[in-house]
Amino acid sequence: MDRVSRRTRVLTNHLIGPPPETLLAANPCLNYSPPELSEPSEFDPKAMRSLLDAHNLQQRDWLFGLLIQSPLFNPRTAAGKVFVSPDYNQSMQQQREMTMKRITYLLDRGVFHGWLTEKGPEAEMRKFAFFEVIGIYDHSLAVKLGVHFFLWGGAIQFFGTKRHHDKWLRDTENYAIKGCFAMSELGHGSNVRGIETVTTYDKNTGEFVISTPCESAQKYWIGGAANHATHTIVFSQLNINGSNQGVHAFIAQIRDADGNVCPDIRIADCGHKIGLNGVDNGRIWFDNVRIPRENLLNSVADVSLDGQYLSSIKDPDQRFAAFLAPLTSGRVTISVSAIYSSKISLAIAIRYALTRRAFSLTPNGPEVLLLDYPSHQRRLLPLLAKTYAMSFAANYLKEIYVKRTPESNKTIHVVSSAFKATLTWHNMRTLQECREACGGQGLKTENRVGHMKAEYDVQSTFEGDNNVLMQQVSKALLAEYIAVQKKNKPFKGLGLEHMNGAHPVIPSQLTSSTLGSSQFQMDAFCLRERDLLNRFSMEVSQHQKHGQSKEHAFILSYQLAEDLGRAFSDRAILQTFLDAEATIPDVFGKLRSMYALICLEEEAAFLRYGYLSMENAAAIRKEVTKLCSELRPHALALVSSFGIPDAFLSPIAFNWIDSNSWSSTQH
Amino acid sequence: MASSNSSPPEEDEVLVEEKLFARTLIFNRTRQLNALSYQMIIRMLELFRAYEKDSNVKLVIVKGKGRAFCAGGDVAAVVRDIKEGNWRLGADFFRKEFTLNYLIATYSKPQVSILNGIVMGGGAGVSIHGRFRVATENSVFAMPEAALGLFPDVGASYFLSRLPGFFGEYVGLTGSRLDGAEMLACGLATHFVPSARLSLLEEALYKVDSSDPAIVSEIIDKYSQKPHLKAKSAHLRLDVIDKCFSRRTVEDIISSLEREAANRRDDWISATIQTLKKASPMSLKISLRSIREGRLQGVGQCLVREYRMVCHVLQGEVSKDFVEGCRAILVDKDRNPKWEPSKLEYISDRMVDRYFSKVDDEDWEELKLPARSYLPGYAISKL
Repeated sequence: MDRVSRRTRVLTNHLIGPPPETLLAANPCLNYSPPELSEPSEFDPKAMRSLLDAHNLQQRDWLFGLLIQSPLFNPRTAAGKVFVSPDYNQSMQQQREMTMKRITYLLDRGVFHGWLTEKGPEAEMRKFAFFEVIGIYDHSLAVKLGVHFFLWGGAIQFFGTKRHHDKWLRDTENYAIKGCFAMSELGHGSNVRGIETVTTYDKNTGEFVISTPCESAQKYWIGGAANHATHTIVFSQLNINGSNQGVHAFIAQIRDADGNVCPDIRIADCGHKIGLNGVDNGRIWFDNVRIPRENLLNSVADVSLDGQYLSSIKDPDQRFAAFLAPLTSGRVTISVSAIYSSKISLAIAIRYALTRRAFSLTPNGPEVLLLDYPSHQRRLLPLLAKTYAMSFAANYLKEIYVKRTPESNKTIHVVSSAFKATLTWHNMRTLQECREACGGQGLKTENRVGHMKAEYDVQSTFEGDNNVLMQQVSKALLAEYIAVQKKNKPFKGLGLEHMNGAHPVIPSQLTSSTLGSSQFQMDAFCLRERDLLNRFSMEVSQHQKHGQSKEHAFILSYQLAEDLGRAFSDRAILQTFLDAEATIPDVFGKLRSMYALICLEEEAAFLRYGYLSMENAAAIRKEVTKLCSELRPHALALVSSFGIPDAFLSPIAFNWIDSNSWSSTQH
Repeated sequence: MASSNSSPPEEDEVLVEEKLFARTLIFNRTRQLNALSYQMIIRMLELFRAYEKDSNVKLVIVKGKGRAFCAGGDVAAVVRDIKEGNWRLGADFFRKEFTLNYLIATYSKPQVSILNGIVMGGGAGVSIHGRFRVATENSVFAMPEAALGLFPDVGASYFLSRLPGFFGEYVGLTGSRLDGAEMLACGLATHFVPSARLSLLEEALYKVDSSDPAIVSEIIDKYSQKPHLKAKSAHLRLDVIDKCFSRRTVEDIISSLEREAANRRDDWISATIQTLKKASPMSLKISLRSIREGRLQGVGQCLVREYRMVCHVLQGEVSKDFVEGCRAILVDKDRNPKWEPSKLEYISDRMVDRYFSKVDDEDWEELKLPARSYLPGYAISKL
């Protein structure tokens, strides 16, 4: 009995509101208290949101409203609030049909208007904004649209010429046809140049003939292919008069308007997946499929009626590079969507941590809010700061993408590769931490965080495996390094200008104010990048001196390559944060410091190569704890500023006692 | 004060009846169809605050005397203030009114509003935010502000945006009138009780000695019936409403209605288009945006935003349509307002933005809502 009454006393201490004498009698239970009541905001979350979302705020909100208002988006009520999220308990086939119905609804409301037929940065930014909102609702819906508009539509825009644009873009935008994008094969994913599908030209009929010569050449993971797509871009080796001209892109019809698979095409389902079951991934075999000569996407190379191969780009390497352009837009949208996913999970986990208590410090004292534990702060707040940093990085990436010029292509390729890998890895880590921070509630699909791990895992693989992308970043940096040495010119571009200046020096005594200065933070990041680039180039050339080929030398130096890729990425992200900071309140400096210092603390390279001393590392560790407690009062406002409407969060982000009450089960 | 120019009330404009645990507040300004005067709002605030603390009060009933529940706020008085150069007096009226709306929306005890007659504008504000709204065959609901050069205020951007599909945009932009059956169908009313049974219902409510909404609801259920929607009800046109009123801009809404009208002859669609074309273009623009923003906000945030908006309307820097609308509809009754800007296309996004920004005036303050110890989950939102 003693234990019971003690427990009752403890619980009653949490009660807010009623006068003390009625406590025991009135309500010996936990009360939900909205975090808004106890967590005043010291800055305007609306203003902060407009910095984070950066563009098309009203249009975003219109689209959020469009989703909330339709039964197609599966609204459910919990504790008086509406939440929208797909019913993931539906079968794979049902989920796929719902995805398609949602697309039709959005199409009818004009959401996709101008996605392919309007040009210019403004139209492109609006398209990105809508795409981000859709991704906040459901990753499957975004991916299915991404395949149709960015991959299929993008391939026609980038590889096609006027005749293709006139014929296909409007029909694509209106969904008169449904496109997919057949690049990966069973035997070849990231190594697109190795694909085995072969196309020849038959000059008697003026047709191309596409074939799948062996099982490893079957097209694999083709989004949209299993159920809905009517047309596909086919990537294939082009064989003209017995000589291979490398990878080219063709248009082939795979289904008729009634959805029947076309002759000489075989399609199989990729089956149930760990996530993204709203996307119908399929496999395609081509049995000498004949397509008209006009279906070669001929912006880079063409075949004349009599079968002559014509190309303005003579170098096959460059020709191939030109073919990867649409994948850049994919990497941009993936980077951005990874950050929105992190925002959702942090908003949920932090709101929960501001309302859920566990354990008392004194026998009869009130239980402590999760987020008032320094350890819980250390788990979530650095991820919050990183998400802020990467949010600006993602905005920067979008900006350089929409303002692209032939000269900026290299920068976009390197930055998008680095950010895609870094941001998607960050997202998976954030999701896992948030899932654990929500405890058992994190395991419920309705609470989103745990389920999203499965939905977003694919991001580290599609549109370029993260590890491969990071290697490409290091390779590009090395090429830049070698070019600078050869030409004896200063570094220009990719943010490497710091290499031209003096070697930064890290003070042996790091005070709090030094640690908080952007100068110190940038110096440390630059020092790491600079030194790793030097080491990497030295190690590769050492290997070459010992008779290894350049390619093999590169493979052997993978450890430095990985460290360097991360160093480049972290430094570039910090730079975007500093650029954004000029306009913002005090809390921003703390977030930026948290981002910088957590990188310094977590990244082993700083100690491994001696950029920081043991004393430095101890000072940084101490400062991180301090920053955690300084950011703690802003936690709610910082996640509110993400601008994700309540309906797109989850029941545990709000009154989780009411939403789990017995009466809520009685409908 | 807002209506300080009107003659002092001869009798109490809000009558109070005390029966056991229930308190009945009766609007008693029948000649003005129970339009809310400043004094009535102040009185309501006092009463609601007192009842919340009083443990002898379990239930609050609100109704109107005569053929109206409440036909709105006393805008005639506000317009008089504006004309005399005192827009701040008008702002004070709205500040008090919106505070009352917020108190009702977050009230800890159930409120039963008996909507046996006209419920418009401010009348909706003192009833729809409450827990139970009882409609009858005499109910007439409308948010007619867009035709007056105003916009649906009193927290309408909160409750309209939560109606099914895009019905709220339709109701808010067209000022369309709904009867009791339609109110129940779309969720503005929680119950439909034939007026003949109202006195029995009230008797039964007096006996309730609990504030448990489930118990109160059960009692009202006993007197409720399921009314039939009339064949021409707008609520049966939800497909067209969703298709057209979900569009991004007012212009898009009108042109999609016009496309519908071109496809088939339909009196309801052409009447809807006519209504939209007669309303103040500026009102339509700010009303749509307000409802759209409301969809993602809590009721408190909605009221704070609406207060900003209404102050801009009163100030009249971008448009003076409110004064013109009241002249044409309420004073001269020529029903021929001269809107300025006169067309949708003359209104830039920046002009609309102005209504949602802080008011540029030294003495002006944002609406500060009272801190509420009890807040239901749905009353709160983050942004």
